[in-house]
Order: sequence, then structure tokens, then C-alpha cells
Amino acid sequence: MNTILICPSCGRPLPPNAPKGLCPECLLKAGLQTEAQTNAGDPAQPKPPPFVPPSPAELARHFPQLEILELIGRGGMGAVYKARQPSLDRLVALKILPPGVAGGAGFAERFTREARALARLSHPNIVAVYDFGQAAGMPFFVMEYVDGPNLRELERGGKLDPREAMQIIPQICGALQFAHDEGIVHRDIKPENILLDKKGRVKIADFGIAKLVGQTVPDAALTGAGDVVGTLNYMAPEQREKPLTVDHRADIFSLGVVFYELLTGELPLGKFAPPSQMAQVDVRLDEVVVRALEKEPARRYQHVSDLGTDVQNITAAGSANPPLLSQPPAPVTPPAPPPEETSDCRILPAFLLAFIFGIFGAHRFYVGKTGTAVLQLFTFGGLGIWATIDWILIVCRAFKDKKGRRITKWT
Amino acid sequence: MNSTGTAAAEGPGARFVTTHWSVVLVAGRTDSTRAQNALARLCQTYWYPLYAYVRRRGHSPHDAQDLTQEFFARLLECHTLSIADPNRGRFRSFLLSTMNHFLAHEWEKVRARKRGGGCQILSLDLAQAEERYDLEPADNSTPDKLFDKHWATALLEEVLNQLEAEHQQAGKAELFAALKQTLTGTRESQAYAVLATCLGMNEAAVKVAVHRLRKRYRELLRAEIANIVADPEQADDELRHLFTSLAG
Repeated sequence: MNTILICPSCGRPLPPNAPKGLCPECLLKAGLQTEAQTNAGDPAQPKPPPFVPPSPAELARHFPQLEILELIGRGGMGAVYKARQPSLDRLVALKILPPGVAGGAGFAERFTREARALARLSHPNIVAVYDFGQAAGMPFFVMEYVDGPNLRELERGGKLDPREAMQIIPQICGALQFAHDEGIVHRDIKPENILLDKKGRVKIADFGIAKLVGQTVPDAALTGAGDVVGTLNYMAPEQREKPLTVDHRADIFSLGVVFYELLTGELPLGKFAPPSQMAQVDVRLDEVVVRALEKEPARRYQHVSDLGTDVQNITAAGSANPPLLSQPPAPVTPPAPPPEETSDCRILPAFLLAFIFGIFGAHRFYVGKTGTAVLQLFTFGGLGIWATIDWILIVCRAFKDKKGRRITKWT
Repeated sequence: MNSTGTAAAEGPGARFVTTHWSVVLVAGRTDSTRAQNALARLCQTYWYPLYAYVRRRGHSPHDAQDLTQEFFARLLECHTLSIADPNRGRFRSFLLSTMNHFLAHEWEKVRARKRGGGCQILSLDLAQAEERYDLEPADNSTPDKLFDKHWATALLEEVLNQLEAEHQQAGKAELFAALKQTLTGTRESQAYAVLATCLGMNEAAVKVAVHRLRKRYRELLRAEIANIVADPEQADDELRHLFTSLAG
């Protein structure tokens, strides 16, 4: 009897209370489009159809110089594939931009100019551009392949804490300052675009792609709903209002959002609480974050390197003065196997359990046998005291020797 | 409660003179009729999310009806708004925190005195609320998240009612009925040719009509969001928050 209606736009079932029978999510998505997008859309000029990334096999025909291995990411700015470059025997990332972006007048010249500028961005914390061009109408970049997760994935896996944020942010600042000095603004700083390689080094991806694509505000047609909101959440206010006139300070705002999120796990929406009220972090970071998130660009940090320096100074002061920070900062490392000493933690509870069971068993066995009770109680009591003293000694050694090898041997 | 009726009674022009929540906040301490009307209009639109929230918190349908009625009666009668509330910047957050306070501190006393349901300041269609609640799909979200989802739906319903009322007044009810589906999806994904045939218009005219409808919808949506926040700067955040709550 119940008929499930499907939203023709997103394909998901309509809730029974859908307003006027329309999908609430798609309605709000339409509402999120800005006036700029609405005005840009002259009904007489149809836009290109939504971008569907080609399969690796389809793509392989256009890139004989590469072995396309797999699609590893997609979003509003195109799709990324993992590929191998046999001539140099190395892995590369192949980024394809939506074909529609290449249609405009003067695109080829702009693309060449921007790509050359991006190729000049040679920095250890920026994903390097090896090559670029157009294949079957699709602009592409061949880039350094980063074998590691992005910040969003690390956040979701609960593998980031404020200490690591304090190590990551200065690296991002260094890379951004380098790009800003070259006159390049990223325009799309968000956790998805910040990768960590296996050595724990930050690698910023998609530099300047937002400008190249001309996608000043993410297009809901090209990307999933979550991506639209995802990008908007990190955008500076002036970037939403006048996307074509932003300068490097838009990146500083976006980085402020990322920093706040790394410290607190939440986005700084509306009148947000300072980070120190949300998490156990140095109270001096509040000023840094708030200054990065100033709505007026003129009131923000004017150079992203200043933000990095402030964070480093707080980190250094935090090490000298531990009470301000929950723990002194440790070097950032990608998820690694647990260290050896964790085995200690497993041994001690096991030993305690065995001890308690032993006493319990002895009590059960000798209960009622009054003739031998005193002797046996003394025996087990003595054993108990010996085991307790031994345990205390082990704990003391564990504190002295964090590798815990003695304990491991002992059991 | 029928918010279409409310929309028709007040007329579309009356809505944009002020932003309702800011009027309520400014005049909160005084017994301003304008503020009372503004608050009443907000409560008429957004009572159901609160009812569903109370139900989700485990109250029986009968209790939830009494409780919702009593809550709004007190909100409109008493000087609740004079209490300093850090959440008062957004009507949604204010309503939820005030309700939580009411549930924690006052409802049991009210129920003990059997006063619940005695006041009829707002005419809310509470009898139908439970039917509507029964239709809700199973959802494991927390009561707070569910409240936000219902809030987003109530807001969209209000906006679409306004849009429909405008079209009715302009004698374009049929056009609205035919084109409302184009509010979702992308502009290029619309079946303009089919719509043109159905409406007896040429395709170019349909494209223009769809463009205008979508544009007006966005204006009304943003105006309604401005109605429920104290500071216009919060409107974007509120819109994104509601979208995230639906998408989540």
C-alpha cells in the first residue's frame, strides 16, 4: 500500500512529509547556490552536463604514456587517478578537469599560463606538477603521487589531536607563504586538499585549480551535496561575496577554519567559542585562530607566515611551560603500529586477574576445612603478599624502562 | 495549523517589512503587540519540530500535545524572552534551549497542577500532529538532530507556501503546480520541452519562467532564514547548518 516516491534529482526516497512533494535536501541545495551563480545562468545558454569521471580503461586510450591504475578521488574540480609512468618507473597522480571548463574563450592560453605558474611551485609541502595538457577535450595535470591520507580522512579516523595540529599548521603556512610570494592563491584550502605522506610531511594539493576551473563557487551540479557545503564552510566571507577579487588573505581565513576544526573537531560557525573553551589547548591559540578568522581581510593576519610563526612560538613556549598545554607536542607521524611498550598494558591486567582468581580458588577449595585453614591461609596470604610486592616492583621498573622488556620476559 | 492559511491572511507583502526574530528580540522586554505578533507567526510556522522533539524525548502523544500547547502559551504570555540566553541569536536554538529548560524545571509542576492544555493562545493543529509524527520514517538520529531536520522541513514548507501564495495571487497557480518540480535538480536537467507541451508555452518561455521561479524561491528562502536569526550575517551559517543537518 505504501508507495515510496523517489526524488528525480538525487534518486533518494522522498520523506513522507516532503514539502509540496519535493525533496527537502535538494531544495536546500538549490537555495545554497549564490546569486552570482543564478545570474550567471542565462536560461538560453545551457550549461554542460554533470561531470562523470571516465573509467580507468576509457582514460587509458588517451594517455598511452601512462598506466592508469584506479580512480582515487572525485569532486567538483574533476577526478584524480592513480597511475604509473613506466618510462620513469614512478607512480603519479593524474588529475582530469571537467571537459566543460575548457570551452570558454581564451581558455587554452589561461590554462597554459596557470599550469606553468603551478609548475614553478617547487616546494616540499606542495604537490608537484609534472605535466599538463588536454586530452579528448579534458584538461589534465600529471602530478606527484602522495601515498597517504588527507586531513579529512585522518579526522574521521580519529587520528588527529591538537598536538598534531600544532605541527601541521606551520608546515601549511610555510607552503602557502611560498605560493603567495609567487603570486598564487590556493582558493580552496580545506582538509581534503591537505595530504600527509608516509613520513608525516604535509603536501598541499590542488593549488590554484579553483581559479583555473573558474569555479568560484562550487557547483552543486558537478559535485555531491556534501562537497558543496564542505567547500563553502571553508570559504572566506569575501570569497562568497566577490569570488573574483579575493587575494591571499582568503587562504588565511580558510586555514583558520581548518585550524579551528583540527583543534576542536568542530567548524567555527556563527559566533563560535574560542578553541580553548572547546578543547584542552593553549589559551594563546584563541587569539591566533580568531585573528585568522576575522571577517574583514584587513583585520586578519596579512601574511600566512606570521600565523605559522605564532603557532611555532606557542608550541615552543608550551614545551618550556607544560601546564599551558595538555601535553608537549610530539612530531607528527602518519598512523603507525603501536609501540612495543603497549604490551605492558596487556600484561598487568592479565596478571592481576590471575592473582584474583588464585585467591578466589584457594578460598573456595579450603572453605569448611577448619583444621588446615590457618596454615593454608598463611600459605596463600604469603603468596599474595609476595605477588603484590613483585607487582609493585614491576610497575616501578616499567616507569624506569619504558620498553618494558623485563616485564615481557618475566611473564 | 495551516501555514498556507497564515500566508494568505497576511499577504506576501507583509512578510518582508521586518525580520521577525529581530523584532521579537528588540521588543522582548516590552509588551509590544508587534513583537507578540511576530513571535506568534514564528511559533505557528515552527511548532511541529518542537512537538516531534518532545515525542522523541519519550513523552506520550497526549503529554506532548499538552506540553507543546503549554510551552507556547507561556512563551507568548510570559516574559521568557527577558531571560538572557546565549542561544537567543537564532530562533531555532533559542526555542530548543527554552524547551529543554521547560522540560527540566517546569513541566512536572505544571502537570501536577493539571494545568496542561488549559491555554489556547495559538491555534495549533495538535490533533493532527500525532498522525504526522506516525508517518515519520524510522530515524536513529538524536532528538536534537531530528529537531533540526524537522526544522529545515518546516522552513521549506513555509517558503513554498509563500511562493505558492504569490503565484495564486498573480493568477499563476497552474504554472506553479507545473514548475515546482524544477526547484530541485539543476537547471539543465529540466525537461523543458515536456513542460512546454504541458503548459502550451514555447520552450524559451518555459526556461525563463523556471529561471524566475528558482530565483524567487532563493530570495524567499533567504528572507525566511533572515526571519529566524537576529543578525543577517548569521543567515548563511544557518542555511548551511540546516543543509548539513538534512544531508547528515
